[in-house]
Amino acid sequence: MVQTIKFVFSNFKYIGLSFAIFIPMLIGLLILSEYIFYEPYLVSHLPEGTEFGFALIVIISFLSALVIPMNIYRINILKSSKQKMSGGVFGSIIGAAAGACSCGPVGFAVISTFGSVGATATAFLTNYEIPIRIFAIAILAITYYTTVKSLKLECKINS
Amino acid sequence: MNKKGIIIGVVVLAVIAGIAASFSSSSSESVNLDMERMHGTISTAMGSPILGDPDAPITIVEFGDYQCHQCYNWFHNTKPAITRDYLDTGKANLVFVDMAFLGRDSPKAAQASYCAEDQEMYWEYHEVLYNYQEDKIDGGWANTERLKAFALSLGLDMELFESCLDSGKYSKRVQYNTQQAREHGVRGTPGFFIVGPDGQQQIGGAQPFSVFKQILDQMI
Repeated sequence: MVQTIKFVFSNFKYIGLSFAIFIPMLIGLLILSEYIFYEPYLVSHLPEGTEFGFALIVIISFLSALVIPMNIYRINILKSSKQKMSGGVFGSIIGAAAGACSCGPVGFAVISTFGSVGATATAFLTNYEIPIRIFAIAILAITYYTTVKSLKLECKINS
Repeated sequence: MNKKGIIIGVVVLAVIAGIAASFSSSSSESVNLDMERMHGTISTAMGSPILGDPDAPITIVEFGDYQCHQCYNWFHNTKPAITRDYLDTGKANLVFVDMAFLGRDSPKAAQASYCAEDQEMYWEYHEVLYNYQEDKIDGGWANTERLKAFALSLGLDMELFESCLDSGKYSKRVQYNTQQAREHGVRGTPGFFIVGPDGQQQIGGAQPFSVFKQILDQMI
């Protein structure tokens, strides 16, 4: 597995891509989940009891930054199918959506726009925030595993 | 003439007695509102009673929803320090204004808090709601039965409380408050306005005490 990661990320373009996914995703999710505030001052805050949610956000961002560039590598270099790419993107989107709504501006906008349907969707994403994020991590982990496996086969990497 | 005077006297007494009787029968459910109450640009007339010294130079207006977990976080993590350093010392006071938008139980919970206010237990009821808030929005923790159970646990007159809650007496009040939030550009809960002698500052979200301290100290 390490060999495969080294193989893909030996190309600096993919390291850059990885950071370009990780940093905005992490900061964006931390802002949406109210771990970071930028108004009126830039301040970070980890309230008691929310540590697990914070850890899940970091894991989702990390896995997205790992899986998506590896799949783009497969598509670009090996001209493979885009099927596995969708797993990484899907996992990232699900992980990002969970809890992003709740009582913050996103939830308010969704409820204001879609009324009771929006409220139901927001309530679902908020109520099952932790299980949804764990589910997203599982999707990303599976995508990572299958990507590494296929890269090993396609590139004949010795692990 | 004497007879006429007696009749007029009896009528006047009857009218006074009637007015007194109507006041005494409705006093337990009277709405104690100061319709002129404003804090900065915000009409807090329909909001909570003032917590802290009413004459304090600064008012913290909190827009919140009883089902919002970020409001729960703020209530438990930031509010105690604000209470200790600003509310208890008379430097600031606080008004809670409902922005009940998260689920079907949110407006009912807000209405229940005003039913508790009828019995002068608003802040006690407010505290119970944030202490017993559960993770799930509309998961049943704030349904009508639980709201009544909270009132019972506080020793409220249940007949009055139930008639108030079941009649929807305060539904318009909660709607008005939610409208105030929208008109002031509050886009999520909790949302705050710190209103001082020289203006007001908005704070969005369950921000830490350090942010409130910085703003409040600048205003004092």
